[in-house]
Amino acid sequence: MTITLTINGTRRTLEIDPGEKLLDLLRREGTMGPKVGCGTGDCGACAVLLNGRAVNSCLVYAAKADGGEVVTVEGLERDGALHPVQEAFLETGGVQCGYCTPGMVISTVDLLSRNPDPTEAEIRQALSGNLCRCTGYTKQIQAVQRAAERMRGGGRHD
Amino acid sequence: MKPTTIDEAWTLLVERGKSARAVGGGIDVHLFRVKDVDTLVDLTGLGLSYVRSEGGLTIGATTTFTEILESAAVASHLDGILVEMIEQVASPLQRNQGTIGGTIASAHPWSDVIPLLLVLDAELGVYDGAARRLSLAEYLADRAAGVRPLVREVCLPAVPGTAAAAYEAFTATGFDVAMLNCAGFVRADGGRCETVRISVGGTPALATRLPSVEAELAGALLDESAIERAAESASAAIDARDDRRATADYRRTLARVGVSRCLGRIAKRLGGTG
Repeated sequence: MTITLTINGTRRTLEIDPGEKLLDLLRREGTMGPKVGCGTGDCGACAVLLNGRAVNSCLVYAAKADGGEVVTVEGLERDGALHPVQEAFLETGGVQCGYCTPGMVISTVDLLSRNPDPTEAEIRQALSGNLCRCTGYTKQIQAVQRAAERMRGGGRHD
Repeated sequence: MKPTTIDEAWTLLVERGKSARAVGGGIDVHLFRVKDVDTLVDLTGLGLSYVRSEGGLTIGATTTFTEILESAAVASHLDGILVEMIEQVASPLQRNQGTIGGTIASAHPWSDVIPLLLVLDAELGVYDGAARRLSLAEYLADRAAGVRPLVREVCLPAVPGTAAAAYEAFTATGFDVAMLNCAGFVRADGGRCETVRISVGGTPALATRLPSVEAELAGALLDESAIERAAESASAAIDARDDRRATADYRRTLARVGVSRCLGRIAKRLGGTG
């Protein structure tokens, strides 16, 4: 079957298998930011924004994205500059092996788009679908706080 | 396939029989690798994503858990009891995708949604060629017998007077589905329990109400000793069995602790003596 969707700002018409997962489609098309992790919606490494909301792309049928808009971690930069959330993850050391990072960043972007000033508990809740096996989550939480502060203050992307 | 009217969706499902499956977010079809299904009928184009508060709450079947969490009407219904329950449902990523109608239609025995909706006396608006309404308990009984209408919406009745509800789930990890869960609802009159509803799920069977425990509490003061007696009765009343998540014995302990915690929170919310 054929679907039309927007991937990181580019409108694409693609031939898909009806049972294909959005994650597999994105990676087949060269968008390698979303990672293949558990495949069962537990780890969050495959998170992407679908119509503005963070979802596990391993659980979404590609067909469900027909007519929709997908943003992966690659789609967050503007004119070669990183998104404030990406910058904050780098600065605070919220990245170790990096496998969970695209998903963490996507969940953070979703959170901050709805709640620009989250409490630590709200941050922990928002990232609870993204597992990290390197860190104790402390650095990622600091990264979200730093990104929130910068975005509220009118960072370069605002 | 993405129909735009519920009649079109129903006709597709009838025509294609067992090879077709209705989906909201579509998570279960992925996770449980449903066999012999070659057609998915996507219900998200039917305009069934809404939360309305017209004396009680009406929630469209394809409303996601996140949309329910963000509704002001939900936050004010019975002290935000749906929020207390939904925060136990999977992760935010899955709550952005999963729908309330989908989780009811799947009727997993560990469902967080079903035990609570049973004690809130939920009715469902369904469609099977014609729109009709039935209680959640009737829907589940029909479903077990193979009768499966499409779920259109969930209706929670308005609760007049002084009432409170609570929900409790026990999971092995933050993500895993419940080893056991339970819910309670009490409407009080002059400090005494006028209406009591208690349900326990994941025993490991699907949640059911516990009429014997409810009858025991009717008319009683919801004090510490009444709560402990009810919790013991609930522990004895459930059909506890072993499975890979927990043993029957452990489930009886969880039922006692869970019912006690639910009733304790209800007593506090009612401003009673518990």
